[in-house]
Amino acid sequence: MDPINPWLDPVEVRRLAERLIRPARGPAIQDLPDAGFDDRFEGFAGITGITPALCTPPAAAPQTTPHPTPPPLPQPTESPVTALGPFLERILRFRSWMIREFDTRGLFILDRDGSVIFDDGAHGKIHVLARSLAQASRKPGGSAGNVHVKVGAEAILEVIPLDTPYGWMVLGAVVPNALSPAAIAIVIDALLQVASPPVA
Amino acid sequence: MLVDADPQGSVGLSLTRQSRLLAGFYDFLADPGIPLDRLIVPTRLETFSLVASGQASDYESGSGGNGSHLARVRAFLRGAAARGFDLCIIDTAAGLFGVTGDIIASSDAVLIPQQAEPLGIRSVPKLLEGLNRLRVMNPRLSVLGVCLTMVQQDLAESREAAQALRELLPPEMVFQTQIPRDGLFVRASARGLPVGVLEEGAGAQIVFDSLRAEVEAKLEPHDSQRGY
Repeated sequence: MDPINPWLDPVEVRRLAERLIRPARGPAIQDLPDAGFDDRFEGFAGITGITPALCTPPAAAPQTTPHPTPPPLPQPTESPVTALGPFLERILRFRSWMIREFDTRGLFILDRDGSVIFDDGAHGKIHVLARSLAQASRKPGGSAGNVHVKVGAEAILEVIPLDTPYGWMVLGAVVPNALSPAAIAIVIDALLQVASPPVA
Repeated sequence: MLVDADPQGSVGLSLTRQSRLLAGFYDFLADPGIPLDRLIVPTRLETFSLVASGQASDYESGSGGNGSHLARVRAFLRGAAARGFDLCIIDTAAGLFGVTGDIIASSDAVLIPQQAEPLGIRSVPKLLEGLNRLRVMNPRLSVLGVCLTMVQQDLAESREAAQALRELLPPEMVFQTQIPRDGLFVRASARGLPVGVLEEGAGAQIVFDSLRAEVEAKLEPHDSQRGY
């Protein structure tokens, strides 16, 4: 018995093969412009031994009593970061600022595809939730807005999608109280500084 | 530059015992903190370098949906081009999904090694369908063709499988050169050497030189910066 041809449709195989030989038409799907990094990005220069997704253990949650009101807002002049230095270094400074100002217990940043750019702890279970919330908050023809959801006792997940020079990102921050619109604006401003190309 | 993107890590395992500890391609995918320079292993040949599979290359790493590693794969290729490598030959795991799919979707050309045996040939239609789908994502992908490997001239089924493939596909899609199954390859891998440098390796050297010439002729119309 022929061990090959009864299993194949020679005409179909030929057709598929000839399609592959012909030059393809249509533009290539471009490099993901919003994958979190631009074309120049290859790695976090100058930082070794740190894996962004696993870089530091989560900070111990401070023992706090429930706040009846959101924590006081930082003054706009207190810029948490400057657009200098490696990206990871800036994210770590941003994280420290978020902990200091908003009692943040956990923080992660995803790219458009849901891939992890940064995670300060094991927040894998809420990555999908954050991304889904960010997508759901997108208005038709408009940009996504921030949303928050209760994820535990005294734990609110703030989801802040934003468009940065490095592409679309989703910030997830676990905080004890929902952030006010003014606080959200300050956080967005700070994260935009983090996610901007270094100034020469 | 030869890059081992097969999680089995055979390139690293073919070198020294220490080489299995090398950081490599999968570490680059997993950790944006690793600079490419740390992964490149120079060889005695000035124009030939290696990147091993790496420590993050467990079997699960090769799976996943298409597109999840695309940005890092392309960052890797840009890094290789920026360092002046003319050719980046990537040895992938079998299949067209996961990391392998993302590599093909980022490359200029693909060469398909195909074992000369009936089961392998029967899977060719699926392979062609998959490549056609990937070409939608990457229209500049050139299919250099299928290279028959592990051909056993002393086995009728192997000879017939090779012949059947040549009859099925357009001639320009099957390399004239075919790689025989030979104990020489086993001996070379046991010693961690390329077959061409073995005392009795002259014949194998001719086969691979012939393959190289065919590949070169097919590549000439393309750009100088390529990933395979």
